[in-house]
Amino acid sequence: MFQSEQTIYYSFVLSNFIKSFKKFKMYKPKLIFALLTVLSLSIVACKDDDETPTPATPTAGTVTLEMTNVAGTANVDETGATSYINSSGESFTVEKLKYYISNVQLYNVDALVYTMPESYFLIDESDQASTKLEIPNVPAGTYTSVRFTLGVDSARNVSGAQNGALDPANNMFWTWSTGYIFYKLEGKSPSSTQTDSSFVYHIGGFKDGNNTNATREVEIDFMGNMIVNGSREAEIHLIADVLKVFSAQHTISIANINLQMAAGGNALKFADNYSKMFTLDHIHN
Amino acid sequence: MMQPGIKNKEMKTNRLLISFALLILIGFTACKKSEESVGQVYFYIPDGFPEPVYKFQNNPITSEGFELGRKLFYDPVLSLDSTISCGSCHQQYAAFSHGDHKLSHGINGLLGNRNSPPMFNIAWFPNFMWDGGVNHLEVQPLAPITNPVEMGESMSNVLLKLKRSSTYPNMFKQAFGSDTITTQATMRAMAQFMGAMISANSKYDKYLKGDASFSTLEMNGLQLFRTHCESCHKEPLLTDMSFRNNGLDANFNADPGRALISTLPQDSGLFRVPSLRNIVLTYPYMHDGRFKNLNDVLNHYTSGIVQSATIDPMFASGGITLNAQEKSEVIAFLNTLTDFTFISNSRFKESQ
Repeated sequence: MFQSEQTIYYSFVLSNFIKSFKKFKMYKPKLIFALLTVLSLSIVACKDDDETPTPATPTAGTVTLEMTNVAGTANVDETGATSYINSSGESFTVEKLKYYISNVQLYNVDALVYTMPESYFLIDESDQASTKLEIPNVPAGTYTSVRFTLGVDSARNVSGAQNGALDPANNMFWTWSTGYIFYKLEGKSPSSTQTDSSFVYHIGGFKDGNNTNATREVEIDFMGNMIVNGSREAEIHLIADVLKVFSAQHTISIANINLQMAAGGNALKFADNYSKMFTLDHIHN
Repeated sequence: MMQPGIKNKEMKTNRLLISFALLILIGFTACKKSEESVGQVYFYIPDGFPEPVYKFQNNPITSEGFELGRKLFYDPVLSLDSTISCGSCHQQYAAFSHGDHKLSHGINGLLGNRNSPPMFNIAWFPNFMWDGGVNHLEVQPLAPITNPVEMGESMSNVLLKLKRSSTYPNMFKQAFGSDTITTQATMRAMAQFMGAMISANSKYDKYLKGDASFSTLEMNGLQLFRTHCESCHKEPLLTDMSFRNNGLDANFNADPGRALISTLPQDSGLFRVPSLRNIVLTYPYMHDGRFKNLNDVLNHYTSGIVQSATIDPMFASGGITLNAQEKSEVIAFLNTLTDFTFISNSRFKESQ
């Protein structure tokens, strides 16, 4: 209701109440009428304080996609102070965790409703701001799942020097064999045979021929509906479990592999694993 | 006799005419200057050359962009300790290879494992490096900049240094309209400079156009070249851009070459066919600079071929046949591939 209408309504109800109060001074109905008036006034009042106004005409809105990197039940801590245990029973710390997600798409059941243009995001655990992504201009409607690519599509791997998330200065780029590093995990473990106990996993590869394509598609079902409309807060909160990189589909132990810095071969196993690291925490409507 | 008033008027008019003429002259000179820079051609397709691979899309060459690229090319600030620039291993007098160096040393005296290739006609190359690991001209400089045994830097740190300089922000503004120095702007400026390095004015080129004549030795050398070498060193670029195993070793554990990039075992020991243009200037030869001179190269092809699993079919049954006379004729022809105007073109020199 618009302000002027409310004022008119207010004064109308109030004047009626005063009139009728005078008229039905001694009658019980007066009490009921008074109660009804108070009720209607409070409804009007409540309408003023509505926190999530839904526009009468549906309008596009922004969806927030937030990732929380965990190791099992603990949050990922990059100081090296916390140790985690992988499925091979190996203790390890995390010093660096970065990955690209791209081509973000919102679905309603099986129908692709919205593809975010130019969606390339670099999630960097050391930069918490990067773990919260904004998907603007999402058409108003109901959504049931989100899909994205973990990695960077082949076209952008052959397009020369780029800006933003794809800037080679982000150190997610193989300069000696042009191509993006899709996923970087580095840390230390007593199970590593390196002299400094380090393990370094740089996963990439975009070529379909000779089976080196490490891009992977991820789909997360909301287990419900997410409504997008104007300034309603629409948020998707995902959990990304780093433990899965060691075991989701293939078993990878630090003792067996402590270094991966090229496309092909074991890189594909890593990709199979980390593409399954996402689960839904909740959606917010 | 003229009256004083009229005389003054005449003088005034004269002075006016003179100053007007001067203005026109100055204006004309100024105009001429800008005509020159507008008329300056940085890139062209030489007669007989195919279409270039790098087409300067979103990065047309301007004098400001070119000069910025040139300054960056010769600036050691791109290296970790500001001692190594691109020009350190790519020297104009050696057709932008590393003169008389088998391998090159980067920062801290660290030695690389491959011979510095020359630079010319690179807009026609579909990929770069001996193993073709770089797929776009605009990301080529990132490889030596970040290589720990070459310039040993990170691109983010390079950008910080450029931003702190007193000259670069304005040069970027002149070239790209913004003094915000980004990786992309830096790489594009360098691509303008490098892409403009065209070498197509050797005696061989003039001979093809009918502007020069070959001696008998050179003519014979050309025929022998077309019989024995043309299949890989295709005219007019003098390379077919392919990767081949030309019988240097029995195994390639030391340097698998193309296999490092493609991950295919059949690419082990394959290296990119270099262009033979300016070959006399770019010794020593092969991916590891093992051959000091052209005689050693020809001797390899006639009697030094080593078989391996991935040997090129051309050499599967051994080398080529050339007698001593024929070898000297081939070398006479190879000498005609030197482009003296390219190596002395002040446009590519280090600006003072």
